[in-house]
Amino acid sequence: MSKNGTVEQRYLPEISRKEMDELKNTVKIASQKIIADNIERMKRADPHRPEAMKYFDDIANLFGRRQQEIQAEKEKGKKVIGYMCLFAPTELILAADAIPVRVNSGWYDTSKLGDRVVPVEVCPVIRSTIGAKMIELSPFLEQSDALISVLTCDGMTKLSEILSDQQTIWGMNVPRIKDSTQSLRFWSDEIKHMKTQIESFTGNKITRKNLNEAITQSHRATKAFRRLQNLRRTNPVIMGRDAMLVNQAYTWDDTKRWTEKTELLCDELEKRAQQKDWVCSPDTPRVMITGTPMFWPDNWKLPTLVEEGNPQGIIVADEQCSGERILNDPIGVDEWSMDDMLNAISERYLMASTCPCFTSKNGNEDRINWLINKAKEWNVQGVVYYVVRGCMLYAMEYSRVKKALDKINVPVYYLDTEYTREDVGQLKTRVEAFMELLNARVDF
Amino acid sequence: MAGELIGNILILIVLAGLGAAGVISVIIWKKNRVARVTFLRFVIQAVGLAALFFLFSLEPSIPLLYVLIAWFAVMLFLGRFFCGWVCPFAFIMDIESVIRKALKIRYRLLPERLNTALHKGRYLILAVFLLLPIALWLIDPPPNTASAVMMARLLAGPFRPYSIIIDPLIPLVVPWTGQIVLGDINLSYPYISDIVTFIDTTPGQIFAVVFVVVTLIGAFLIRRVWCRFCPAGASIAAINKFKAFKGVPLLYIEKDEEKCTKCGVCKRVCPVQVPEVYEQKGGKIGTSQCMLCARCVEMCPYEDALKIKLANKPVFKSRNWLEPSINDE
Repeated sequence: MSKNGTVEQRYLPEISRKEMDELKNTVKIASQKIIADNIERMKRADPHRPEAMKYFDDIANLFGRRQQEIQAEKEKGKKVIGYMCLFAPTELILAADAIPVRVNSGWYDTSKLGDRVVPVEVCPVIRSTIGAKMIELSPFLEQSDALISVLTCDGMTKLSEILSDQQTIWGMNVPRIKDSTQSLRFWSDEIKHMKTQIESFTGNKITRKNLNEAITQSHRATKAFRRLQNLRRTNPVIMGRDAMLVNQAYTWDDTKRWTEKTELLCDELEKRAQQKDWVCSPDTPRVMITGTPMFWPDNWKLPTLVEEGNPQGIIVADEQCSGERILNDPIGVDEWSMDDMLNAISERYLMASTCPCFTSKNGNEDRINWLINKAKEWNVQGVVYYVVRGCMLYAMEYSRVKKALDKINVPVYYLDTEYTREDVGQLKTRVEAFMELLNARVDF
Repeated sequence: MAGELIGNILILIVLAGLGAAGVISVIIWKKNRVARVTFLRFVIQAVGLAALFFLFSLEPSIPLLYVLIAWFAVMLFLGRFFCGWVCPFAFIMDIESVIRKALKIRYRLLPERLNTALHKGRYLILAVFLLLPIALWLIDPPPNTASAVMMARLLAGPFRPYSIIIDPLIPLVVPWTGQIVLGDINLSYPYISDIVTFIDTTPGQIFAVVFVVVTLIGAFLIRRVWCRFCPAGASIAAINKFKAFKGVPLLYIEKDEEKCTKCGVCKRVCPVQVPEVYEQKGGKIGTSQCMLCARCVEMCPYEDALKIKLANKPVFKSRNWLEPSINDE
């Protein structure tokens, strides 16, 4: 599809190669600096950071090792299938011997470029991804042979249309009411259709055995993830940012290797927990983040502010599709027949999701339950409700979340921001004020 | 002499089998969290079958009526626990499911509406069967109308009330009473003796054969198909059905609303397609369809979201089945 010049570009502006390269280089250099800076700050926050985090620091460099690996695999004939929402069935991609990789963009600079195509009111995640496409910045977006786009929020719906100027897009229609039989039937059909599409695209048949292996693999990953999450339940042994980075790295890393390394990290953390080697004082306010996804590398300002603020807080849990939601739910396969595995996959992706694009008889109650449960089980003392401007669905659910959390006496702070570095100073004041409040509550 | 030897060898084989099942259940219990309860259920079903067999072959034999009364007394508190864990007919269906799984044939689902209709319809089936002896008596009044004889007729005739309830057991635990004789061996199957006694020989036999084939194939393709309209199950569930008895069942499933993410696993794995565990928001799951087989609790991927409680004490909780259970406790 993306034979240059053969397809009329309906959305994206024509940019000369020279301008594109210039822009790309500038943003890339800036971004690499930011990645290094973020990791440096994470190291500083925890002077004896776990040894196992070294691997994740390495993999966190989007322009580094993983990009070359994927390139090498591509040259061997493997296909790369990108996805934008977590609803994309990665197990099917793995079973077809392709590489799943998430392509949402977290670059601040490219969101300014996206303004040329869509108005500034649009969610910056969308604008940033468009911008990254315009200057071919994102390594994974460029490497993807096809993109699975799930039509969840308005932004994602149109984003897939805009990107289809240059890339093969497979849309998946997601029903907005998730707890009805007809929705599930519809979604199962979408999953089955996606299976045939992936099969014909990659040329590899998804057999029962392959799918079984892929599901078992994702079970292992979930197991490692849950282990890490459980370690965050008690006194802090790992900084929230580190754990968030580990979680997010799953979306572009090799699944098997990620699982191994995360298990290693957990081994190390368990030892620390035994030695009572905390990363910060156990009295530090425990914070949960919910709301708009935060994508590495640029959009890391809120966790940084929380954990480097004065007074300091520590992030112990989150409810974000860039964080815990990636791996929280395992695929519950009853019988390992093809049919049941596909049913299990469609149920896991649709029904277990807490994305605010859904509603049901009782509204998006699953999300409320998730937050309440996490707040109780992880001893959360305060919730930061993070919304970027233009993210309507999350913004509109705030009142309900606040009411629900007020009932269990957990303060919520609504923090709205943009894909920009300009408001860091102002945010710092706001976040620190909230931490002050949490500290005061602990004292009483 | 030879028969006795074979009998002794058979007993040894059964004992060895039970021993092996014990060892395997320990292994499965340790290694595989997703199969442990299912396997334990198989063991209990097999042991239950052996126990029932022993009970019915005692000399002097226990009248079935007493068994029935004792059974009802227990079921009053345990609900359909019997169906899920002991019933020998269900055991046959479970074994068929295992064979189906091994052959990688997928199961079929009954349409939801038909399923609910069957669940409601089984009370009707039960009522018809309970009233049948009276109808028969009205059509063909017995010559002797002494009340004792009438009573006997009501209780011991074809489709006698308690046979409806206890019949699935008889052919399995006392197979020597079977109606279909093949060579020297009595083949027996639930309800067949009633059908054959009740209907004239040839149509009765044809009907009996059709009945056996249909239920066997049905149970092969649809999990626990008989349980959905089993009048015996209805007779147990009827007690739980009335609101006045809501506090009576001591064994029930409880759901934690906050821990549930409504991922739908419980609904899909349920062998009798009970929707309530998924649909109800939380608390005590009130349904007369559930057989307490604990498959949903076993498969629920969220810790403590589903529990089976016996007299307010949790006996089995859903847990993170991704972990091998060696690190337990």
